[in-house]
Amino acid sequence: MAKMPELKSEHIWIVVTIAFLIPMLRPLNTPFPMSDVTLEIYKIVESLPEGSIVVMGGGGVFAFDIESSPGMISCIKQMARKGIKLIAVPLWSETPQFHKYVIDAARVDKDKYGGPWKYGEDYVLLPYIPGPSDEVVLDSFLRDIHKTVSIDLAGTPIDQLPLMQKVHSYKDISLWFCPHWGFVPVIRIVVAKYNITSISFAQSAAYAFFSPYMYSYPGKVYMTNGYIGGAQYEKLAGDKGLGHMVIDSYTTLSIVTVAVIILGNITMLSRMREEEK
Amino acid sequence: MSRTVTYIRIYLARIIVIVGCLSILAGYFLTSPETAGLSSELQLWSSAISGFTLFIGLITIFARYIRSVMNREQNWPFHLYCLIVIILWVPFGFLQGIYSDIYQTLYLSTKITLHITIIGMMGWFVVSAMYRTFRVRSFRTAVLAILAIAMIFFNAPYLTTPYPVFGDVSYWLLNNPQMSASRAMVICGGIGGVILGIRILLGLERGALRMTGGE
Repeated sequence: MAKMPELKSEHIWIVVTIAFLIPMLRPLNTPFPMSDVTLEIYKIVESLPEGSIVVMGGGGVFAFDIESSPGMISCIKQMARKGIKLIAVPLWSETPQFHKYVIDAARVDKDKYGGPWKYGEDYVLLPYIPGPSDEVVLDSFLRDIHKTVSIDLAGTPIDQLPLMQKVHSYKDISLWFCPHWGFVPVIRIVVAKYNITSISFAQSAAYAFFSPYMYSYPGKVYMTNGYIGGAQYEKLAGDKGLGHMVIDSYTTLSIVTVAVIILGNITMLSRMREEEK
Repeated sequence: MSRTVTYIRIYLARIIVIVGCLSILAGYFLTSPETAGLSSELQLWSSAISGFTLFIGLITIFARYIRSVMNREQNWPFHLYCLIVIILWVPFGFLQGIYSDIYQTLYLSTKITLHITIIGMMGWFVVSAMYRTFRVRSFRTAVLAILAIAMIFFNAPYLTTPYPVFGDVSYWLLNNPQMSASRAMVICGGIGGVILGIRILLGLERGALRMTGGE
């Protein structure tokens, strides 16, 4: 066997770039399996009556929470279609930007995009709520919302917002979504103490760590798994967004990665044989 | 620095650590309103003090980078750029408000987008690292390479859709051997952290809390 040259990293990066670009330019529509848990989450949201109040809250870093965005955006579109109300409760300092991002990406705002939701009546963005820990903030929020936070993200007193006049404590909240890494405090307080069903569009690493909570709190805690969970939810909601794109990218990149590993071993073998000769 | 000030710094740090630990433990194990009140008050102080660390960070950065720029050390243009961005950004946040549209847009366009880019770049580095790392030289490296390839394929939607059994195998591998091994590492790390904390408190770690004579 002729001695194969050792590939430079730059050559591999060019191939990886092409592997990313192919599904962006021409969607592959890769099929993927549907998960029972994702289907159950979709049915839970579908079963909520019009006017129900749902909270999107938790803490995370924006760059990592992008993995949770496909499912959350599709869910926001579903909620807007059903007339469900949403309150965004950020517990970390970067989370308000993420909440704004997913709501803007869903194009549901009436004034900006002609969607079904009007700010203040159908959805409210609360500011970052500081505290010694997420659990303390969540407990305070669920006991008395108006004592915990007094203004919204823009500085408007929440007493002036029609939606916030209807919600005062955990008794007024039907469901809790957490599209962030910080799902465990939500489970500890929102689920365990206040018995509110909580759903996380979890990042795949978070799913690996936190999925046992689904078995500890059956029927109360649900989690989707990373981008594939987001793609499953997009499919159920009739969307084609980031989740589908990532599945296509995984298709091309998985083949490239395995090919690269095999090529590396062939290179090593050819060098060993050459050295033996 | 004089010896007196050094000793004050050493013993003050120890006293603060001991008082803080005792208050947290007392607030957790004792149920009297006084200890709960003391614990809450000290936690508030702790939250306030932790805010000062931001100022310490800023002062440190300014001190080091100004020296670097004046002495034209390596990478001084980047240090100057950092100082200019800080000087512009902090007053900008105060004047516009951190929740104003323009501040949010700039923050999203710069820091968050760059953070996403840094994380996304891992994809390229992982593939080139795998080219060099997963080379079968022994039984162990063969197991590593085969399992890595297996996990890549077993999680691939084009395989799990027609053959769901691969998804089940992947799920079992992740939730049994992988989870047990990763939890073992996390437990070891936690125990190691506790032991290190106790050693620091007892002065057995050299340099911690300026204690001398550590082992």
